[in-house]
Amino acid sequence: MKTDMSLAGGAHPSSDLLPAVWKLLRLRWRMTVNSFRHAKTAAKIGIVLGIIGLVIFGGFLFWLSWQLLTFLHSPRLTEYVGDTKILLDAVPTLIFTAFFLGILITSFGLLLQALYLSGDMDFLLAAPLPIRAVFFSKLLQAVLPNFGLLALFGLPVLYGLGLSDGYNILYFLFVIVLMVSLSLAAAGLAGLLVMLVVRVFPARRVVEVLGFLGAIISIVCSQTGNLMRAGSSNSVSQEQISSGLGMLAQFNSPWLPLTWVGRGLMALGEGNWLPGVGLTFLSLVLTGGLFWLSLAVAERWYYTGWAGMQIIGQKKQTKRMLRTATASSRPVLSPRLAANLLPAAIRGIIWKDFLVMRRDLRHLSQLITPLIFGIIYGIMFLRTGGEPPAGRGEAPAWFMDSIRSLLSYGNVLLAIFVGWMLVQRLAGMGFSQEGKNYWMLKAAPVSARQMLTAKFLVAYLPTLALSILFLAAFSVLQRIAFAQTAFGLLVVVLCLAGMAGIQLAFGAAGANFTWEDPRKMNAGNMGCLGMLLTALYLPTNLAVFFGPLFLAGLFGLPAGYGYLAGGILGSGVSLLCAILPPRLLEARVNRLGE
Amino acid sequence: MATPLIQIKHLSKSFGEKAAIKDVNLEVNSGEVFGFLGPNGAGKTTTIKIIMGLLQPTTGGVRVAGYDIATQPIQAKAASGYVPDTPNLYAKLTGRELLSFVGDLYNLERAQAGRRIDELLHMFDLVGAAEDTLDSYSHGMKQKTALAAALMHDPKVLVLDEPTVGLDPKSARLIKDILRQMAERGAAVFLSTHILEIAERMCDRIGIINKGELIAVGTMDELRTLDQIGGASLEDIFLSLTGGAEEAEIAEILK
Repeated sequence: MKTDMSLAGGAHPSSDLLPAVWKLLRLRWRMTVNSFRHAKTAAKIGIVLGIIGLVIFGGFLFWLSWQLLTFLHSPRLTEYVGDTKILLDAVPTLIFTAFFLGILITSFGLLLQALYLSGDMDFLLAAPLPIRAVFFSKLLQAVLPNFGLLALFGLPVLYGLGLSDGYNILYFLFVIVLMVSLSLAAAGLAGLLVMLVVRVFPARRVVEVLGFLGAIISIVCSQTGNLMRAGSSNSVSQEQISSGLGMLAQFNSPWLPLTWVGRGLMALGEGNWLPGVGLTFLSLVLTGGLFWLSLAVAERWYYTGWAGMQIIGQKKQTKRMLRTATASSRPVLSPRLAANLLPAAIRGIIWKDFLVMRRDLRHLSQLITPLIFGIIYGIMFLRTGGEPPAGRGEAPAWFMDSIRSLLSYGNVLLAIFVGWMLVQRLAGMGFSQEGKNYWMLKAAPVSARQMLTAKFLVAYLPTLALSILFLAAFSVLQRIAFAQTAFGLLVVVLCLAGMAGIQLAFGAAGANFTWEDPRKMNAGNMGCLGMLLTALYLPTNLAVFFGPLFLAGLFGLPAGYGYLAGGILGSGVSLLCAILPPRLLEARVNRLGE
Repeated sequence: MATPLIQIKHLSKSFGEKAAIKDVNLEVNSGEVFGFLGPNGAGKTTTIKIIMGLLQPTTGGVRVAGYDIATQPIQAKAASGYVPDTPNLYAKLTGRELLSFVGDLYNLERAQAGRRIDELLHMFDLVGAAEDTLDSYSHGMKQKTALAAALMHDPKVLVLDEPTVGLDPKSARLIKDILRQMAERGAAVFLSTHILEIAERMCDRIGIINKGELIAVGTMDELRTLDQIGGASLEDIFLSLTGGAEEAEIAEILK
């Protein structure tokens, strides 16, 4: 029996923008609901508690802002800091500017992922939907999470200002309207910037560079903050406050379009209808126009963006074809001695891991973190001049002496701290970083011991190099005696080996090969346990190394005895931790990835 | 008499309560191309992963090139090459670097590996992309690179999971020719595929697995006898044995 089935009989293509956007947003909502429904009970409870917590936090912020802004109207404060009206007038402009820039910056990365690296764009663009609707929904998806986050902080402040100044209802309504319109404009602009950048650079590379820069900037900012706090006083002078208010007044200039939003809103709230309605209307027209323009331009640029990427790829390939075809690209890394010492498989894994870590900026950003921390804490350490902070002066003398003696080995502690940070990543994630490529190692004739040895060396060698560099630099800067530096070197070399052994074993036991983004790889509970154990191992091992030295001093024995006893005991503990945990794990490594 | 290079005996594998493979017995001889067929979720990939030592069986065992994969995994793996269904390769290595890495894993001498890399890159038409990182490769190029990696050490046993998926006709033909040549040189080729035409034309013997059980093994003629359909195609035999005949009828109605 044959049935006559007309093609596309059930399809009703839609050319209307808003129904199509609604359809796409419903799809996204359905996916969100499904992921919540299929989540584990603990995760569901966590999400619900998280939402309740955010609402309470928002309420608290609202109350706090209200109180603070009411306080800013207080005549006694005005007597001390001068006219606070400048600050109060600038609050909406500050919030809206932060809102616009925040959405612009955060949407860039999100849209890059959503437009060029998510698998659904081809599917959506092939569907009978207006292309503009696809971009609209993508922009909304990119904006919503950050809109929520920024609104959590911005909305309570703006509502608090409205209440403390007694603004009318229109102010409270238009706060949300203007936030939405600014967000859409910022997201549209971010979308255009993404398409411009992708015309020049491949999207994946841009994501890697962004991740790298983001990580570095956030670490540098947070640690520089620590550094600044360490060196500055806590009190703020009246001059500093006046100068700050002056800067705010300049920032809130009427010639900057971003200030029109805040100025219009305040005028609306105060009942100054002409400037209020005029500036608010102008803001809405400008932001709406920017958003609409972005959608229109994106339609054209999206396709040329793809085409541009392909041309770039081909050009690169042609250049490379001309450059080399048969010459082996692999440098001879290992001299003959290394070739005799290490089997080819181990050397191959080490070489491969170093290449991958160097080329993938997402890996590199994690590896540079210890270096930044080391430099910043090193500077802080040097600024103290090796003297412990006096505190309130109530600590007993013997305690301060002990701390002082310990700080004389500050270079060793710093070198080990830097090494600890690096080895956590390199050894703890040694196996996990193989990801979905682990089948290549598993299907190859490489024993578990060889794999563990290779991964140990991948973690240990760079860690050792970095730590020795720190040790040497600080020994020179602090003019530390040769014997003390030599003992410090022994401590660093052995202590890090033990740490690498523990981290590697626990990292391998909890190896996870299913990640997509290297920044999200983890070694599960076992990895956390490994970190905790190294945190226990480190002081224990240092006590074993340095304990005999202090005891020798206490009993008036020559320091050489202390060095000898500490060296022997510490080496024993370190080597045991370096060798035993990985050995115990060999059988487990054979079952990894199953 | 042909030497069995893959011997599977009473192989079973369970994931929790679910039995993925049930008592599979099979031999693949030197010089033979063996096609392993089955519907989705029948247990093909699980069997292949056990042959390659990527999964441990619940019961039973596998010998590859005479070595027990459970007790002599290094020797067994050294004799075999593997192409997975999804070519996950180190994205930040170039094609040449990946092959060089594989050369190290299989302990090839540096000069020999260099020659072999050039040979394979030429053979798979990858010379132009050899210095590009693998994240810029198309699916087909990755598939070819994975096959080149599996051939680096000239294995006695080659195991391929859906090797022609995503390949253009030229590359698919090249792979078929290579597999045939390897078999002629005495290797055992074990491949799973959904493309029955490939299995029918390329394979000396075919095994059909359904719901974890090996329900038929033999040459095309033997399978026809088994199914008692004279002159039937492999598609007919496959659908008849795996219970897909009803679906075929529905497909016919929809034509």
